[in-house]
Amino acid sequence: MVILKIEHVSKRFGNLDALRDVSLEVEQGEAVAIIGSSGSGKSTLLRCVNNLERVGSGKITIDGDVLVDTAGGVAQYPPEKEIRRICTKTGIVFQHFNLFPHLTCLENIMIAPVQVLRRSKENVRREALDLLDVVGLSSKAQSYPAQLSGGQKQRVAIARALAMHPQIMLFDEPTSALDPETTNEVIATIQKLVAQKTTMLIVTHDMRFARESATRVLFMDEGRILEENTPQQLFEHPQNPRLQAFLQSVRS
Amino acid sequence: MDFAYIQTLLPSLLSGTVNTLKIFFLTLILSLPLGLPFALGAISRVWPLRFLSKIYIWVFRGTPLMLQLFFVYYGLPILAQNWGEQWAELFRWQNTTAAIVTFTLNYAAYFAEIYRAGIQSIDRGQHEAAKTLGFSRWQTMRLIILPQTIARVIPPVSNEVITLVKDTALVTAIGVGELLKAAKDANNRDVDPTAFFLAALIYLCLTFVLTLVSQWCEQRFSRHEQPIQEG
Ligand SMILES: Nc1ncnc2c1ncn2[C@@H]1O[C@H](COP(=O)(O)OP(=O)(O)OP(=O)(O)O)[C@@H](O)[C@H]1O
Ligand SMILES: [Mg+2]
Repeated sequence: MVILKIEHVSKRFGNLDALRDVSLEVEQGEAVAIIGSSGSGKSTLLRCVNNLERVGSGKITIDGDVLVDTAGGVAQYPPEKEIRRICTKTGIVFQHFNLFPHLTCLENIMIAPVQVLRRSKENVRREALDLLDVVGLSSKAQSYPAQLSGGQKQRVAIARALAMHPQIMLFDEPTSALDPETTNEVIATIQKLVAQKTTMLIVTHDMRFARESATRVLFMDEGRILEENTPQQLFEHPQNPRLQAFLQSVRS
Repeated sequence: MDFAYIQTLLPSLLSGTVNTLKIFFLTLILSLPLGLPFALGAISRVWPLRFLSKIYIWVFRGTPLMLQLFFVYYGLPILAQNWGEQWAELFRWQNTTAAIVTFTLNYAAYFAEIYRAGIQSIDRGQHEAAKTLGFSRWQTMRLIILPQTIARVIPPVSNEVITLVKDTALVTAIGVGELLKAAKDANNRDVDPTAFFLAALIYLCLTFVLTLVSQWCEQRFSRHEQPIQEG
């Protein structure tokens, strides 16, 4: 089953083409990694999927619901409320965590299911505690974000996104703001999700992680997807010269 | 120091203090919440709201409080005369009422500006996280942004509150019997400035207590920002 379908999406910032005719499908249970040099449009692509940016043209379908379609050259979005409903099917994890500093870890995880999905506090609490257990932070339920290390914050952020039961998880360089020691615990957490067949799209600069964990890897350059393959093929036998150059530069 | 004389001054000074505190607390209770709609208006996407809020804030912060006080007490009833006697009657307030109305409107503008700056100082990532979790704009404001704003605005709000204590002395100008007026009357009557010293002492006590209260609030509302490692 296709969870995320992106068709011919383009996006401009002023006269800069951030995305040029990007098409991509993500099947249920896939972990797709996106690599590419800085400014190639990776974040922009994720941000278009959960409506933090609006596309210029193209079509995005999430779990059968159309987030945006283009008619007569104009991108058409449904009403605000419908957009919100569709976007809660995606969970995003940011590079800088963006936890709510005035809430404890437990409250950070509980607030959206309770306030947005209107689920009962008791059920949500039980589930939130389970999620904290999954990310290995049961002991930090009552701590505030300021009392956690970067890696711990990122794991709480992952739990917070999972609490909404998204159909697909989006990660935007989840380990780029972390020091090497804490990077590993976050990677381990994401690998746990991969093993559970959580559908995800991961922007990463960590080639080892992309190679070992992803089921498929995309290479983006100047707003385009230039190459797409299994990790093994893509890293061992890169076809596009720009990918070859990119891999050369990250290896050295 | 003539303690017997000081004792004769105290009753009038203390009853003046009671009036000062009355104006102070009523102004505070009314203007602290009134600032919020103007702050939200000033950052609203609806331009008439934004325009009106900004004009309000600009006018009340940009003209002397004393002028506003005179206008409300002396000017407004005259102006209202043009609309008919019942309007004039409606706006012919007692001096204390006129003082509280003016102070409330004035301080609401200052608080609005502080709140606006506080709200806009919250990281964009907070808005983005809330949006992607499905919060509406109002939910984001109420559950995520405003609670974080409170901790940030406490220091500037405290400054304003301390200024307010001293600003209450302005209402002497329209004859409200508060602390400064009691002191001035005593000085004029007895040709002895002791009452001014006592009044200064009382103002100092009030601002000192408020400084303590504001420090307590600051700690209370920023507890979550302290990286205390619990055991
Ligand atoms: N809000 C914006 N306004 C203007 N230009 C933007 C905006 N966001 C991104 N861009 C530009 O769009 C291009 C793609 O940016 P994007 O953040 O998607 O790159 P990226 O691949 O995520 O890079 P990085 O690896 O550095 O995160 C860049 O040239 C960037 O400068
Ligand atoms: Mg990026």
